[in-house]
Amino acid sequence: MGTTATKLPKDQLSEYQELTFLTKQEILLAHKRFTELLERNDRQQPSSRVPMDKICALPELKSNPFRRRICHVFSTSDTKDGSLSFEDFLDLLSAFSDSATLEIKSHYAFRIFDFDDDGTLDHGDLEKLVNCLTGESADTRLTPEEMSQLINNILEESDIDKDGTVNLSEFQHVISRSPDFVSSFKIVL
Amino acid sequence: MEFIQEVPGIHEVILKDKLIKKKMMRRMSLFPHQAAPLGNLELTSDEIQKEFENDTRELVSELVNLPTRARIQAMRALPLSFHERRYVRSRVMSVKHSKKNDLLPTCCTDCHQQTSLFCRRFGAGVTTARKRLVIWQDALKEIGGRFGTSVLSYFRFVKWLLLFNIISLLINFSFITIPQIIHSPNITHTVNFRGLELLTGAGYFNQTVFFYGGYNGEVIVNQPPYNMQLAYFFTIAAYMVLCGVSLIYSMARSFQKNFVLVSGPAYGGAWRLLCSWDFSVVNEKAIQNHKNNLSVQLKETLSERFQRKARVSVSTVLKRLALSLVAWTLCVLLAIGSCAGIYFLQSDQSRLVSGLADDLNAEASTLILPVVVSLINLIIPLTFSLINKMEHYTNPRTNIYIGIMRNVLLKMSILGILCFYWLSEVPYTISCWESFVGQSVYRLVLVDFIFCLLGSFFGEFLRNIIGTKCFPSLGVPEFDIATNVLNLIYAQTLAWIGIYFSPLLPIIQVIKLFIIFYLKRVSLSMNCQPPKHTGRAAQMQTVYVALLFFPSFIGALSLVAYTVWSLKPSEQCGPFQGLDKPFQTVHQWMDTVHNIPGSEWAWWIFEHVLRNELFFYLITLIVLVLTYFLWQVTQGRKQLIRTLREQIVNEGKDKTFLLNRLQSIQKQRRATAAFSPQEYTERTYFNQNWMNTLPLEM
Repeated sequence: MGTTATKLPKDQLSEYQELTFLTKQEILLAHKRFTELLERNDRQQPSSRVPMDKICALPELKSNPFRRRICHVFSTSDTKDGSLSFEDFLDLLSAFSDSATLEIKSHYAFRIFDFDDDGTLDHGDLEKLVNCLTGESADTRLTPEEMSQLINNILEESDIDKDGTVNLSEFQHVISRSPDFVSSFKIVL
Repeated sequence: MEFIQEVPGIHEVILKDKLIKKKMMRRMSLFPHQAAPLGNLELTSDEIQKEFENDTRELVSELVNLPTRARIQAMRALPLSFHERRYVRSRVMSVKHSKKNDLLPTCCTDCHQQTSLFCRRFGAGVTTARKRLVIWQDALKEIGGRFGTSVLSYFRFVKWLLLFNIISLLINFSFITIPQIIHSPNITHTVNFRGLELLTGAGYFNQTVFFYGGYNGEVIVNQPPYNMQLAYFFTIAAYMVLCGVSLIYSMARSFQKNFVLVSGPAYGGAWRLLCSWDFSVVNEKAIQNHKNNLSVQLKETLSERFQRKARVSVSTVLKRLALSLVAWTLCVLLAIGSCAGIYFLQSDQSRLVSGLADDLNAEASTLILPVVVSLINLIIPLTFSLINKMEHYTNPRTNIYIGIMRNVLLKMSILGILCFYWLSEVPYTISCWESFVGQSVYRLVLVDFIFCLLGSFFGEFLRNIIGTKCFPSLGVPEFDIATNVLNLIYAQTLAWIGIYFSPLLPIIQVIKLFIIFYLKRVSLSMNCQPPKHTGRAAQMQTVYVALLFFPSFIGALSLVAYTVWSLKPSEQCGPFQGLDKPFQTVHQWMDTVHNIPGSEWAWWIFEHVLRNELFFYLITLIVLVLTYFLWQVTQGRKQLIRTLREQIVNEGKDKTFLLNRLQSIQKQRRATAAFSPQEYTERTYFNQNWMNTLPLEM
């Protein structure tokens, strides 16, 4: 049964193709990788989830500083444990794929950077973001003065309506001026 | 039929699409992340449900009205989770279905459905196939994944150049070489093949179709007649025009995308933090490097900001100016020196060759010049980078740009001096001079290739071994994108210069680029680490394309144009023998056209418009006026952007003011409501953040 269980039904595959930015091959590959992550007896059930730790251990995400955030953002689990179902996993790959639109990419980037899930990037979010990007080790970490100076600079540059936070449209505005973003916001299996 | 309904109104579709996106964005910002702020708005769950339902219904009804392709695109692009998208899709499908059922299910509609399904499947298949056909897709993905976007840009550049050369090869081969081969297939070889020809291009190759000399200009009289002179002229011209147009196009596109949009206040730290992280990099070491570099860069920018506030003293400014002046003088002197050396070597050598004609040694000695040129190309840039270290620039990007400028100066002046020699002395001293020039270019291209191979072996492989085994302080070498790209540009310039003298030179260039791609890929993964200072990759790419256009392509073009318009072609060989100038063939052709009845207008246009200076003056004038006009338009837009920005800030202030008022009024009402609790209904609390959720139209 092992081989038949890992196969995707044809109509489901075409549905996945229609609803994501992935090609057939990519979906099949994603399915293969996903079933490898599942426990053996969970493989039969279509709605089984992979816990966050296993997703984060994937070589594509292993060293990514945002891996836990990515899992949280794409997880539709009710318990908010960051576990991913196959469809969540497809969603993740679709948003990070080559053909995803700038809107989708910037939308998810915003949500990944929005650490407290309140819909805006405020002082705390930006601080966490900087720490994620520079790493936590002592020599790369910024001092508190540098940090506050940096965050003020960021807000000065990107907070257009001067309310002290960066909202989604302001974020997208910054991104629209960075031509590298689309090519760098990408994860390929 | 439905198909006909789908075709018209593309504008309408686009408009609708935009509308939907806007709606969805609004919706997503109103209900971000499992509707967390809705709790703040204190709406009851029923109301949330209702609002949701309303929104979904609206969305579904809009999606139903879209044509199939656009609907699929719009559904994919909804920023919702997969479940929600599936829900929307099923609703859309059910609405569609019920509509379909209203119509009688005739054979025709069934057939139509089948065909549209087939078409869609076929289209999807074609797109996948096209993606698979693109050369090096997987290799590029892997490189991007391991070394980041900036290194990837180098490999993209290689791929782009390769496509250029393949196109030129196809054009030249099919319009010049094939007719020639068909016309006179057996060329009698006076010299035997010795092997050295592969390097020098002389001897055996001299009379082959590889070089200008292997073609002859008689009209092929077989049916249909084929005029070799015209074919040669127009093929080269068409290729040059094609190159020019595609270069201008890609340059303008990438300039608009990467420079015009970028300039603005969102430039420094915000960009670096919000959009510079390369998610595609999976290599642990590369990520650690990236983090370190980012932290260093952030610290640098911060300290720069502080420094900018602290004024630099006059003496240091003077010292820096003097230093850069010295550096520039040194660089220019080096460039001039190497040019002079090459010129004397060149003229000496031609004397040597004429003395030792048709001897193996003489042939081998022609390789001295290309080797010297390649050595100069290898060593002087290293000296330049040493000189560069001695200077002090506050901005690392200025540093990179200045390095690039000096290298371009050197390479172009070397090519310039070579071209000067080829065009000023060679035509009057050597009998089949076009082939001679073609062979010289061939040698330069080939030796440059060999040096490139050696360079990646010694420069990168040995340097890596030294850096890891002997002197660990040196570390692993960085992959120097700028130098590598400049070498590519140099090679491409040579290929363009040689296209007239050696129409099949693109073969060499294609093979060369193909090998370079794999070689650099291997060398990169074995020996190098990704560069520390990754500027903005996309912007650098624009600079490279611009460099390829301005000194490189324009230089080659003017050289070829000069040759065609004013140099006398050699008498003994080549398609244009017996003419005063290669361009004269067009005159002759126009004369024959004149004799054909009914085509006098073509002759008239040629005679009175194209050969008239006034015509070109007029065109120049019109272009200038247009440029001025467009410049004025951009100025006006800039003004408009400034005003709109101010307006946004003012509106933001308005919003905060109104919010504060609202809150204070609420407080008052709550205070009064405390006396009569029954009348007060919750629900009108406001979240301070709600204003962020309003879309900011810009």
